[in-house]
Amino acid sequence: MTTSTNPFKMTISRFGEDGIRVLFGNDIDLSVHEKVRNFYFYMKSLDLPEVIDYTPSFRSCLIHFNTERTNFARLSSLIEEKEEEALRPGNTPESTLQEIPVHYGGPEALDMKNVCEQTGLSERDVIAIHSDIIYTVYTVGFTPGFPYLGTLDQRIQVPRLETPRTKIAAGSVGIAQGQTGVYPFPSPAGWRIIGHTDVRFFNYEKEPYSLLRIGDKVKFISI
Amino acid sequence: MIEILNKGMMTCVVDSGRYGYAAIGVPPSAALDKFAYNVLNCLLNQDENAPALEIIGAGFSIKFHQDMICAITGARVRASLDERSLSPWASFAAEAGSILTVHEVTEGFRYYLGFTGKLSLPRVIGCYATNLECSFGGYQGRSLKGGDQIEINDIYSVPLGIVPDKEIPEMKSPHFLRITDGPEHSFFTEKSQKTFADRESRTEYTVSVNSNRTGIRLTGDQLSFCDGVKESIISEGILPGTIQIPGDGLPIIMLYERTIGGYARIARVVRADLDRLAHLIPEDQVIFGRIEMDEAERLWEERRARLKSFL
Repeated sequence: MTTSTNPFKMTISRFGEDGIRVLFGNDIDLSVHEKVRNFYFYMKSLDLPEVIDYTPSFRSCLIHFNTERTNFARLSSLIEEKEEEALRPGNTPESTLQEIPVHYGGPEALDMKNVCEQTGLSERDVIAIHSDIIYTVYTVGFTPGFPYLGTLDQRIQVPRLETPRTKIAAGSVGIAQGQTGVYPFPSPAGWRIIGHTDVRFFNYEKEPYSLLRIGDKVKFISI
Repeated sequence: MIEILNKGMMTCVVDSGRYGYAAIGVPPSAALDKFAYNVLNCLLNQDENAPALEIIGAGFSIKFHQDMICAITGARVRASLDERSLSPWASFAAEAGSILTVHEVTEGFRYYLGFTGKLSLPRVIGCYATNLECSFGGYQGRSLKGGDQIEINDIYSVPLGIVPDKEIPEMKSPHFLRITDGPEHSFFTEKSQKTFADRESRTEYTVSVNSNRTGIRLTGDQLSFCDGVKESIISEGILPGTIQIPGDGLPIIMLYERTIGGYARIARVVRADLDRLAHLIPEDQVIFGRIEMDEAERLWEERRARLKSFL
Protein backbone atom coordinates (compact mmCIF):
# COMPACT_ATOMS: atom_id res chain seq x y z
CA MET A 1 0.00 0.00 0.00
CA THR A 2 1.21 3.51 -0.81
CA THR A 3 2.25 5.42 2.27
CA SER A 4 3.49 8.60 0.57
CA THR A 5 2.14 11.73 2.20
CA ASN A 6 -0.32 13.59 0.11
CA PRO A 7 0.18 17.36 0.17
CA PHE A 8 -3.43 18.06 -0.79
CA LYS A 9 -5.26 20.01 1.90
CA MET A 10 -8.76 18.85 2.84
CA THR A 11 -11.19 21.20 1.10
CA ILE A 12 -14.79 21.77 2.14
CA SER A 13 -17.33 23.12 -0.31
CA ARG A 14 -21.06 23.31 -0.56
CA PHE A 15 -23.19 21.15 -2.82
CA GLY A 16 -26.70 22.55 -2.86
CA GLU A 17 -28.51 23.64 0.29
CA ASP A 18 -28.11 20.34 2.14
CA GLY A 19 -24.84 18.92 0.84
CA ILE A 20 -21.19 19.28 1.86
CA ARG A 21 -18.40 17.96 -0.31
CA VAL A 22 -15.19 17.18 1.55
CA LEU A 23 -12.39 16.75 -0.97
CA PHE A 24 -9.13 14.93 -0.18
CA GLY A 25 -7.29 14.91 -3.51
CA ASN A 26 -7.59 15.16 -7.25
CA ASP A 27 -6.61 11.71 -8.45
CA ILE A 28 -7.41 8.06 -8.06
CA ASP A 29 -4.71 7.23 -5.53
CA LEU A 30 -4.43 4.88 -2.57
CA SER A 31 -3.28 7.59 -0.16
CA VAL A 32 -6.29 9.78 -1.09
CA HIS A 33 -8.53 6.73 -0.74
CA GLU A 34 -7.15 6.04 2.76
CA LYS A 35 -8.03 9.59 3.82
CA VAL A 36 -11.58 9.28 2.46
CA ARG A 37 -11.97 5.94 4.19
CA ASN A 38 -10.61 7.12 7.55
CA PHE A 39 -12.77 10.24 7.40
CA TYR A 40 -15.93 8.32 6.48
CA PHE A 41 -15.61 5.67 9.19
CA TYR A 42 -14.67 8.26 11.81
CA MET A 43 -17.60 10.57 10.96
CA LYS A 44 -19.99 7.64 10.86
CA SER A 45 -18.82 6.52 14.31
CA LEU A 46 -19.90 9.89 15.72
CA ASP A 47 -23.50 8.98 14.87
CA LEU A 48 -24.38 12.62 14.25
CA PRO A 49 -28.17 13.05 14.23
CA GLU A 50 -27.83 16.01 11.85
CA VAL A 51 -26.30 13.84 9.10
CA ILE A 52 -28.68 11.98 6.80
CA ASP A 53 -26.12 10.15 4.66
CA TYR A 54 -22.47 9.87 3.67
CA THR A 55 -21.29 9.00 0.17
CA PRO A 56 -17.56 8.29 0.28
CA SER A 57 -15.93 7.85 -3.13
CA PHE A 58 -12.48 7.92 -4.76
CA ARG A 59 -11.42 11.36 -3.60
CA SER A 60 -14.24 12.89 -1.62
CA CYS A 61 -16.92 12.27 0.93
CA LEU A 62 -20.29 13.86 0.24
CA ILE A 63 -22.35 14.59 3.34
CA HIS A 64 -26.11 15.00 3.08
CA PHE A 65 -27.28 16.92 6.14
CA ASN A 66 -30.56 17.77 7.79
CA THR A 67 -31.06 21.53 7.53
CA GLU A 68 -33.49 21.48 10.42
CA ARG A 69 -30.74 20.29 12.75
CA THR A 70 -27.66 22.10 11.49
CA ASN A 71 -26.38 24.39 8.77
CA PHE A 72 -23.44 24.51 6.39
CA ALA A 73 -21.31 26.78 8.58
CA ARG A 74 -21.82 24.76 11.73
CA LEU A 75 -21.20 21.38 10.14
CA SER A 76 -18.16 22.71 8.25
CA SER A 77 -16.51 23.93 11.43
CA LEU A 78 -17.24 20.63 13.13
CA ILE A 79 -15.49 18.84 10.24
CA GLU A 80 -12.50 21.19 10.42
CA GLU A 81 -12.28 20.69 14.16
CA LYS A 82 -12.31 16.91 13.75
CA GLU A 83 -10.02 16.77 10.69
CA GLU A 84 -6.87 15.63 12.45
CA GLU A 85 -8.64 13.00 14.52
CA ALA A 86 -10.71 11.83 11.56
CA LEU A 87 -7.68 11.30 9.34
CA ARG A 88 -5.65 9.45 11.94
CA PRO A 89 -5.29 5.86 10.73
CA GLY A 90 -6.70 3.18 12.96
CA ASN A 91 -10.32 4.26 13.10
CA THR A 92 -11.28 2.01 10.27
CA PRO A 93 -12.61 -1.53 10.50
CA GLU A 94 -10.48 -4.39 9.11
CA SER A 95 -10.78 -4.80 5.36
CA THR A 96 -12.03 -8.15 4.21
CA LEU A 97 -10.55 -10.01 1.25
CA GLN A 98 -13.18 -11.62 -0.97
CA GLU A 99 -12.25 -14.21 -3.55
CA ILE A 100 -14.67 -14.05 -6.46
CA PRO A 101 -14.88 -17.00 -8.87
CA VAL A 102 -15.42 -15.75 -12.44
CA HIS A 103 -16.32 -17.49 -15.68
CA TYR A 104 -14.26 -15.45 -18.12
CA GLY A 105 -15.15 -15.46 -21.80
CA GLY A 106 -18.05 -17.37 -23.29
CA PRO A 107 -21.37 -15.95 -24.48
CA GLU A 108 -21.89 -13.83 -21.34
CA ALA A 109 -18.59 -11.99 -21.82
CA LEU A 110 -20.05 -9.63 -24.39
CA ASP A 111 -16.86 -7.65 -24.95
CA MET A 112 -14.06 -10.18 -24.45
CA LYS A 113 -13.34 -10.41 -28.19
CA ASN A 114 -13.32 -6.64 -28.50
CA VAL A 115 -10.99 -6.25 -25.51
CA CYS A 116 -8.58 -8.76 -27.04
CA GLU A 117 -8.66 -6.87 -30.33
CA GLN A 118 -8.10 -3.50 -28.67
CA THR A 119 -5.26 -4.69 -26.47
CA GLY A 120 -3.66 -7.14 -28.89
CA LEU A 121 -3.71 -9.77 -26.13
CA SER A 122 -5.08 -13.30 -26.18
CA GLU A 123 -8.11 -14.15 -24.06
CA ARG A 124 -5.82 -16.17 -21.83
CA ASP A 125 -3.57 -13.16 -21.25
CA VAL A 126 -6.53 -10.88 -20.47
CA ILE A 127 -7.80 -13.40 -17.91
CA ALA A 128 -4.36 -13.89 -16.36
CA ILE A 129 -3.81 -10.13 -16.04
CA HIS A 130 -7.31 -9.38 -14.71
CA SER A 131 -7.20 -12.14 -12.09
CA ASP A 132 -3.65 -11.46 -10.96
CA ILE A 133 -4.22 -8.32 -8.88
CA ILE A 134 -5.70 -7.83 -5.43
CA TYR A 135 -8.06 -4.93 -6.05
CA THR A 136 -9.18 -2.25 -3.61
CA VAL A 137 -12.83 -1.16 -3.30
CA TYR A 138 -12.59 2.60 -3.86
CA THR A 139 -16.31 3.16 -3.55
CA VAL A 140 -19.64 1.36 -3.74
CA GLY A 141 -22.47 2.88 -5.70
CA PHE A 142 -24.09 3.49 -9.05
CA THR A 143 -26.38 0.61 -8.07
CA PRO A 144 -26.54 -0.97 -4.60
CA GLY A 145 -23.45 -3.06 -3.94
CA PHE A 146 -21.60 -2.17 -7.17
CA PRO A 147 -17.88 -2.00 -6.26
CA TYR A 148 -15.58 0.36 -8.13
CA LEU A 149 -12.34 -1.62 -8.03
CA GLY A 150 -8.86 -0.41 -8.86
CA THR A 151 -6.42 -0.36 -10.24
CA LEU A 152 -6.57 -2.28 -13.48
CA ASP A 153 -3.29 -3.25 -15.12
CA GLN A 154 -2.34 -0.76 -17.88
CA ARG A 155 -2.18 -3.57 -20.44
CA ILE A 156 -5.92 -4.23 -20.31
CA GLN A 157 -7.17 -0.67 -19.92
CA VAL A 158 -9.86 0.08 -22.52
CA PRO A 159 -12.32 2.98 -22.79
CA ARG A 160 -15.99 2.71 -21.79
CA LEU A 161 -18.49 1.81 -24.50
CA GLU A 162 -19.47 4.84 -26.56
CA THR A 163 -23.11 3.91 -26.22
CA PRO A 164 -23.86 2.18 -22.93
CA ARG A 165 -26.04 -0.93 -23.04
CA THR A 166 -29.51 -0.39 -21.61
CA LYS A 167 -29.44 -3.68 -19.72
CA ILE A 168 -26.90 -6.36 -18.87
CA ALA A 169 -27.16 -9.48 -16.70
CA ALA A 170 -26.58 -9.44 -12.94
CA GLY A 171 -23.13 -10.79 -12.13
CA SER A 172 -21.46 -9.27 -15.21
CA VAL A 173 -17.80 -8.41 -14.63
CA GLY A 174 -16.79 -5.24 -16.45
CA ILE A 175 -13.69 -3.15 -17.10
CA ALA A 176 -13.28 0.49 -18.13
CA GLN A 177 -10.15 2.61 -18.08
CA GLY A 178 -8.34 1.93 -14.79
CA GLN A 179 -11.31 0.27 -13.14
CA THR A 180 -13.10 -3.02 -12.88
CA GLY A 181 -16.36 -3.96 -11.16
CA VAL A 182 -19.27 -6.35 -10.93
CA TYR A 183 -22.87 -5.41 -11.77
CA PRO A 184 -25.00 -6.84 -8.92
CA PHE A 185 -28.31 -6.16 -10.72
CA PRO A 186 -29.57 -6.21 -14.29
CA SER A 187 -28.87 -2.57 -15.07
CA PRO A 188 -27.62 -0.20 -17.75
CA ALA A 189 -23.88 -0.63 -18.27
CA GLY A 190 -21.16 1.35 -19.98
CA TRP A 191 -18.23 -0.88 -19.04
CA ARG A 192 -16.90 -3.71 -21.20
CA ILE A 193 -18.02 -7.12 -20.01
CA ILE A 194 -15.35 -9.86 -19.87
CA GLY A 195 -16.91 -12.40 -17.53
CA HIS A 196 -19.65 -13.47 -15.20
CA THR A 197 -19.87 -14.47 -11.52
CA ASP A 198 -22.60 -16.17 -9.52
CA VAL A 199 -21.52 -14.45 -6.29
CA ARG A 200 -24.25 -12.24 -4.88
CA PHE A 201 -22.90 -8.74 -4.23
CA PHE A 202 -26.04 -7.34 -2.64
CA ASN A 203 -28.72 -9.00 -0.55
CA TYR A 204 -31.52 -6.67 0.52
CA GLU A 205 -32.84 -9.27 2.97
CA LYS A 206 -29.78 -9.48 5.16
CA GLU A 207 -27.56 -6.92 6.86
CA PRO A 208 -25.01 -5.59 6.03
CA TYR A 209 -26.71 -5.94 2.59
CA SER A 210 -23.58 -5.26 0.56
CA LEU A 211 -20.82 -7.87 0.22
CA LEU A 212 -18.24 -5.10 0.02
CA ARG A 213 -17.65 -1.69 1.46
CA ILE A 214 -15.05 0.98 0.85
CA GLY A 215 -11.55 -0.30 1.56
CA ASP A 216 -12.28 -4.01 1.19
CA LYS A 217 -10.13 -6.14 -1.14
CA VAL A 218 -11.14 -8.38 -4.04
CA LYS A 219 -9.31 -11.12 -5.90
CA PHE A 220 -10.93 -12.68 -8.97
CA ILE A 221 -10.37 -16.40 -9.52
CA SER A 222 -10.75 -17.80 -13.04
CA ILE A 223 -12.94 -20.92 -13.11
CA MET B 1 -58.08 -4.82 1.04
CA ILE B 2 -57.66 -2.85 -2.17
CA GLU B 3 -57.44 -4.45 -5.60
CA ILE B 4 -55.75 -2.90 -8.61
CA LEU B 5 -58.06 -3.13 -11.63
CA ASN B 6 -55.92 -1.01 -13.95
CA LYS B 7 -52.41 0.22 -13.27
CA GLY B 8 -52.62 3.28 -15.52
CA MET B 9 -49.26 3.87 -17.20
CA MET B 10 -47.29 2.90 -14.09
CA THR B 11 -48.01 2.57 -10.38
CA CYS B 12 -45.55 1.87 -7.59
CA VAL B 13 -45.37 2.06 -3.80
CA VAL B 14 -43.34 5.00 -2.46
CA ASP B 15 -42.53 6.63 0.84
CA SER B 16 -40.28 9.44 2.06
CA GLY B 17 -37.16 7.55 0.98
CA ARG B 18 -34.49 5.08 2.00
CA TYR B 19 -31.67 7.07 3.60
CA GLY B 20 -28.56 6.10 5.51
CA TYR B 21 -27.14 3.56 3.05
CA ALA B 22 -25.59 5.74 0.35
CA ALA B 23 -22.14 4.37 1.24
CA ILE B 24 -23.21 0.96 -0.13
CA GLY B 25 -24.97 2.50 -3.11
CA VAL B 26 -28.57 2.29 -1.89
CA PRO B 27 -30.53 5.25 -3.31
CA PRO B 28 -33.58 6.88 -1.64
CA SER B 29 -36.18 5.79 -4.28
CA ALA B 30 -38.40 8.39 -2.60
CA ALA B 31 -41.73 9.86 -3.72
CA LEU B 32 -40.73 12.36 -6.40
CA ASP B 33 -43.21 15.08 -5.43
CA LYS B 34 -42.44 15.21 -1.71
CA PHE B 35 -44.78 18.15 -1.14
CA ALA B 36 -47.76 16.30 -2.62
CA TYR B 37 -46.77 13.16 -0.69
CA ASN B 38 -46.50 15.10 2.59
CA VAL B 39 -49.84 16.85 2.06
CA LEU B 40 -51.40 13.46 1.28
CA ASN B 41 -50.24 12.16 4.65
CA CYS B 42 -51.54 15.33 6.34
CA LEU B 43 -54.99 14.91 4.76
CA LEU B 44 -55.07 11.31 6.02
CA ASN B 45 -53.43 12.00 9.38
CA GLN B 46 -50.86 9.35 8.38
CA ASP B 47 -47.25 8.79 9.49
CA GLU B 48 -44.81 10.96 7.59
CA ASN B 49 -43.21 7.81 6.14
CA ALA B 50 -46.41 5.91 5.35
CA PRO B 51 -46.47 3.95 2.09
CA ALA B 52 -48.57 5.50 -0.70
CA LEU B 53 -49.08 4.81 -4.39
CA GLU B 54 -47.32 6.96 -6.97
CA ILE B 55 -49.20 6.75 -10.25
CA ILE B 56 -48.58 7.94 -13.80
CA GLY B 57 -51.24 8.20 -16.47
CA ALA B 58 -54.99 7.95 -16.97
CA GLY B 59 -56.93 4.71 -16.76
CA PHE B 60 -55.80 3.84 -13.24
CA SER B 61 -58.53 2.08 -11.33
CA ILE B 62 -58.85 0.28 -8.00
CA LYS B 63 -61.61 -1.49 -6.12
CA PHE B 64 -62.09 -1.10 -2.37
CA HIS B 65 -63.01 -4.21 -0.42
CA GLN B 66 -63.42 -2.34 2.88
CA ASP B 67 -64.69 1.09 3.94
CA MET B 68 -61.85 3.58 4.33
CA ILE B 69 -60.85 7.16 3.66
CA CYS B 70 -58.49 7.97 0.82
CA ALA B 71 -56.90 11.04 -0.66
CA ILE B 72 -55.33 12.03 -3.97
CA THR B 73 -52.68 14.74 -4.39
CA GLY B 74 -49.99 15.52 -6.98
CA ALA B 75 -50.95 15.85 -10.64
CA ARG B 76 -54.47 17.20 -11.13
CA VAL B 77 -56.73 14.39 -12.26
CA ARG B 78 -60.35 13.99 -13.34
CA ALA B 79 -61.40 11.03 -11.22
CA SER B 80 -64.55 9.41 -9.98
CA LEU B 81 -65.61 7.05 -7.22
CA ASP B 82 -68.32 5.01 -8.93
CA GLU B 83 -70.52 7.78 -10.39
CA ARG B 84 -69.35 10.56 -8.06
CA SER B 85 -66.62 12.89 -9.34
CA LEU B 86 -63.76 13.73 -7.00
CA SER B 87 -61.96 16.99 -6.28
CA PRO B 88 -58.18 17.20 -6.70
CA TRP B 89 -56.04 17.33 -3.54
CA ALA B 90 -58.83 16.13 -1.27
CA SER B 91 -59.78 13.17 0.89
CA PHE B 92 -62.95 11.16 0.29
CA ALA B 93 -64.76 8.22 1.84
CA ALA B 94 -64.72 4.98 -0.17
CA GLU B 95 -67.21 2.24 0.71
CA ALA B 96 -66.53 -1.47 0.33
CA GLY B 97 -67.29 -2.44 -3.26
CA SER B 98 -66.77 1.02 -4.74
CA ILE B 99 -64.39 1.63 -7.65
CA LEU B 100 -62.05 4.59 -8.08
CA THR B 101 -61.21 5.47 -11.67
CA VAL B 102 -58.90 8.15 -13.00
CA HIS B 103 -60.19 9.33 -16.38
CA GLU B 104 -57.71 12.03 -17.26
CA VAL B 105 -54.61 13.78 -15.96
CA THR B 106 -55.22 17.46 -16.59
CA GLU B 107 -52.06 19.03 -15.15
CA GLY B 108 -48.78 17.49 -14.00
CA PHE B 109 -47.54 13.91 -14.35
CA ARG B 110 -47.40 11.88 -11.11
CA TYR B 111 -50.24 11.66 -8.61
CA TYR B 112 -50.40 10.09 -5.17
CA LEU B 113 -53.07 7.94 -3.56
CA GLY B 114 -53.08 7.14 0.14
CA PHE B 115 -55.35 5.34 2.61
CA THR B 116 -56.36 5.59 6.28
CA GLY B 117 -54.93 2.26 7.32
CA LYS B 118 -51.78 0.21 7.45
CA LEU B 119 -50.82 -1.29 4.11
CA SER B 120 -49.65 -4.82 4.71
CA LEU B 121 -46.24 -4.50 3.03
CA PRO B 122 -42.82 -5.42 4.42
CA ARG B 123 -40.18 -2.82 5.12
CA VAL B 124 -37.06 -3.52 3.11
CA ILE B 125 -33.85 -1.86 4.36
CA GLY B 126 -36.09 0.12 6.69
CA CYS B 127 -38.45 1.41 4.02
CA TYR B 128 -41.52 0.84 1.87
CA ALA B 129 -40.18 2.63 -1.23
CA THR B 130 -39.82 0.49 -4.37
CA ASN B 131 -36.38 0.20 -5.93
CA LEU B 132 -37.67 -0.76 -9.38
CA GLU B 133 -34.26 -1.29 -10.96
CA CYS B 134 -33.10 -3.73 -8.28
CA SER B 135 -36.53 -5.25 -7.62
CA PHE B 136 -36.80 -4.73 -3.87
CA GLY B 137 -39.11 -2.82 -1.54
CA GLY B 138 -42.69 -1.74 -2.21
CA TYR B 139 -44.99 -4.47 -3.50
CA GLN B 140 -42.80 -7.50 -4.25
CA GLY B 141 -40.12 -5.19 -5.57
CA ARG B 142 -42.10 -4.27 -8.67
CA SER B 143 -44.66 -1.85 -10.05
CA LEU B 144 -48.29 -2.84 -9.54
CA LYS B 145 -50.45 -4.49 -12.17
CA GLY B 146 -54.09 -5.40 -12.61
CA GLY B 147 -55.19 -8.08 -10.15
CA ASP B 148 -52.70 -7.18 -7.41
CA GLN B 149 -54.25 -6.98 -3.96
CA ILE B 150 -52.94 -5.20 -0.88
CA GLU B 151 -54.36 -5.91 2.57
CA ILE B 152 -55.10 -2.85 4.66
CA ASN B 153 -55.25 -3.22 8.43
CA ASP B 154 -56.03 -0.95 11.39
CA ILE B 155 -58.33 1.28 9.35
CA TYR B 156 -59.14 4.52 11.15
CA SER B 157 -61.27 7.53 10.39
CA VAL B 158 -60.39 11.19 9.85
CA PRO B 159 -62.52 14.23 9.00
CA LEU B 160 -62.58 14.85 5.24
CA GLY B 161 -60.37 17.66 4.03
CA ILE B 162 -59.64 19.56 0.85
CA VAL B 163 -56.72 21.74 -0.18
CA PRO B 164 -57.93 25.12 -1.49
CA ASP B 165 -57.35 25.38 -5.23
CA LYS B 166 -54.97 28.32 -4.91
CA GLU B 167 -52.71 26.24 -2.63
CA ILE B 168 -52.17 23.54 -5.26
CA PRO B 169 -48.73 24.06 -6.82
CA GLU B 170 -48.44 24.80 -10.53
CA MET B 171 -47.26 21.75 -12.45
CA LYS B 172 -47.56 22.68 -16.12
CA SER B 173 -44.97 23.42 -18.80
CA PRO B 174 -42.90 25.56 -19.10
CA HIS B 175 -41.16 24.50 -15.90
CA PHE B 176 -38.96 27.16 -14.39
CA LEU B 177 -36.28 25.44 -12.30
CA ARG B 178 -33.95 27.41 -10.10
CA ILE B 179 -30.43 26.08 -9.62
CA THR B 180 -27.25 26.67 -7.62
CA ASP B 181 -23.74 26.01 -8.96
CA GLY B 182 -22.41 22.46 -8.83
CA PRO B 183 -18.79 21.39 -8.21
CA GLU B 184 -17.92 21.33 -11.94
CA HIS B 185 -19.77 24.41 -13.19
CA SER B 186 -16.45 26.00 -14.17
CA PHE B 187 -15.81 23.09 -16.59
CA PHE B 188 -18.11 24.88 -19.05
CA THR B 189 -17.39 27.89 -21.20
CA GLU B 190 -18.69 31.21 -19.99
CA LYS B 191 -20.96 31.35 -23.00
CA SER B 192 -22.44 27.93 -22.18
CA GLN B 193 -22.96 28.87 -18.54
CA LYS B 194 -24.88 31.94 -19.72
CA THR B 195 -27.09 30.19 -22.24
CA PHE B 196 -27.73 27.48 -19.66
CA ALA B 197 -29.18 29.56 -16.86
CA ASP B 198 -28.55 33.32 -17.07
CA ARG B 199 -31.63 35.51 -17.02
CA GLU B 200 -30.62 37.49 -20.12
CA SER B 201 -29.50 34.75 -22.47
CA ARG B 202 -30.83 31.38 -21.35
CA THR B 203 -32.42 28.95 -23.72
CA GLU B 204 -35.27 26.52 -23.30
CA TYR B 205 -34.71 22.79 -23.03
CA THR B 206 -37.16 20.06 -23.97
CA VAL B 207 -37.82 16.98 -21.84
CA SER B 208 -36.71 13.90 -23.78
CA VAL B 209 -38.77 10.73 -24.17
CA ASN B 210 -35.70 8.89 -22.82
CA SER B 211 -36.41 10.19 -19.32
CA ASN B 212 -37.32 7.82 -16.50
CA ARG B 213 -37.47 7.55 -12.73
CA THR B 214 -33.65 7.66 -12.56
CA GLY B 215 -33.08 10.80 -14.57
CA ILE B 216 -34.70 13.40 -16.77
CA ARG B 217 -32.86 13.85 -20.05
CA LEU B 218 -33.15 17.18 -21.84
CA THR B 219 -32.55 18.19 -25.42
CA GLY B 220 -31.66 21.67 -26.64
CA ASP B 221 -28.52 23.78 -26.67
CA GLN B 222 -25.45 21.59 -26.15
CA LEU B 223 -23.12 22.91 -23.45
CA SER B 224 -19.46 23.28 -24.40
CA PHE B 225 -16.67 22.10 -22.14
CA CYS B 226 -13.69 24.45 -21.74
CA ASP B 227 -10.54 23.46 -23.62
CA GLY B 228 -8.50 20.80 -21.85
CA VAL B 229 -11.26 19.75 -19.46
CA LYS B 230 -11.94 16.03 -19.15
CA GLU B 231 -15.54 15.26 -20.04
CA SER B 232 -16.01 12.49 -17.52
CA ILE B 233 -15.00 13.06 -13.91
CA ILE B 234 -13.75 10.58 -11.32
CA SER B 235 -17.08 9.15 -10.11
CA GLU B 236 -18.36 11.00 -7.07
CA GLY B 237 -21.41 11.38 -4.84
CA ILE B 238 -24.53 13.10 -6.12
CA LEU B 239 -27.75 14.24 -4.44
CA PRO B 240 -31.29 14.50 -5.84
CA GLY B 241 -31.61 17.29 -8.38
CA THR B 242 -27.97 17.11 -9.48
CA ILE B 243 -27.65 18.19 -13.12
CA GLN B 244 -24.95 16.21 -14.94
CA ILE B 245 -23.56 17.03 -18.36
CA PRO B 246 -22.22 14.01 -20.28
CA GLY B 247 -19.96 14.27 -23.31
CA ASP B 248 -22.83 15.11 -25.66
CA GLY B 249 -23.39 18.38 -23.75
CA LEU B 250 -27.05 17.68 -22.96
CA PRO B 251 -28.21 17.96 -19.34
CA ILE B 252 -29.53 15.05 -17.28
CA ILE B 253 -31.36 15.88 -14.05
CA MET B 254 -30.77 13.05 -11.59
CA LEU B 255 -33.70 12.06 -9.37
CA TYR B 256 -33.73 9.67 -6.37
CA GLU B 257 -32.20 6.50 -7.86
CA ARG B 258 -28.43 7.08 -7.92
CA THR B 259 -25.82 7.82 -5.25
CA ILE B 260 -22.82 8.28 -7.55
CA GLY B 261 -22.32 9.93 -10.91
CA GLY B 262 -19.46 10.13 -13.38
CA TYR B 263 -20.35 13.23 -15.35
CA ALA B 264 -19.65 16.90 -14.66
CA ARG B 265 -22.11 18.27 -12.12
CA ILE B 266 -22.86 21.72 -13.45
CA ALA B 267 -25.60 22.54 -10.94
CA ARG B 268 -28.22 21.34 -8.52
CA VAL B 269 -31.91 22.13 -8.72
CA VAL B 270 -32.85 24.02 -5.54
CA ARG B 271 -34.73 21.98 -2.95
CA ALA B 272 -37.85 24.12 -3.26
CA ASP B 273 -38.12 23.10 -6.94
CA LEU B 274 -37.38 19.37 -6.55
CA ASP B 275 -41.11 18.53 -6.28
CA ARG B 276 -41.63 20.01 -9.72
CA LEU B 277 -39.32 17.39 -11.24
CA ALA B 278 -42.08 14.81 -10.68
CA HIS B 279 -44.15 16.60 -13.31
CA LEU B 280 -41.76 16.94 -16.22
CA ILE B 281 -43.43 15.17 -19.14
CA PRO B 282 -41.66 14.34 -22.42
CA GLU B 283 -41.93 17.36 -24.76
CA ASP B 284 -42.40 19.82 -21.85
CA GLN B 285 -40.22 22.94 -21.81
CA VAL B 286 -37.67 23.58 -19.04
CA ILE B 287 -35.97 26.88 -18.24
CA PHE B 288 -33.15 27.09 -15.69
CA GLY B 289 -32.44 30.11 -13.52
CA ARG B 290 -29.21 30.39 -11.54
CA ILE B 291 -29.67 31.84 -8.06
CA GLU B 292 -27.52 32.36 -4.99
CA MET B 293 -27.52 30.00 -2.02
CA ASP B 294 -29.21 32.42 0.38
CA GLU B 295 -32.13 32.82 -2.01
CA ALA B 296 -32.37 29.04 -2.39
CA GLU B 297 -32.52 28.75 1.40
CA ARG B 298 -35.22 31.41 1.58
CA LEU B 299 -37.31 29.56 -1.04
CA TRP B 300 -36.98 26.35 0.99
CA GLU B 301 -38.15 28.14 4.14
CA GLU B 302 -41.18 29.37 2.19
CA ARG B 303 -41.96 25.85 1.05
CA ARG B 304 -41.62 24.56 4.62
CA ALA B 305 -43.99 27.25 5.84
CA ARG B 306 -46.51 26.33 3.14
CA LEU B 307 -46.37 22.69 4.21
CA LYS B 308 -46.64 23.61 7.88
CA SER B 309 -49.90 25.43 7.16
CA PHE B 310 -51.43 22.00 6.41
CA LEU B 311 -50.34 20.41 9.68
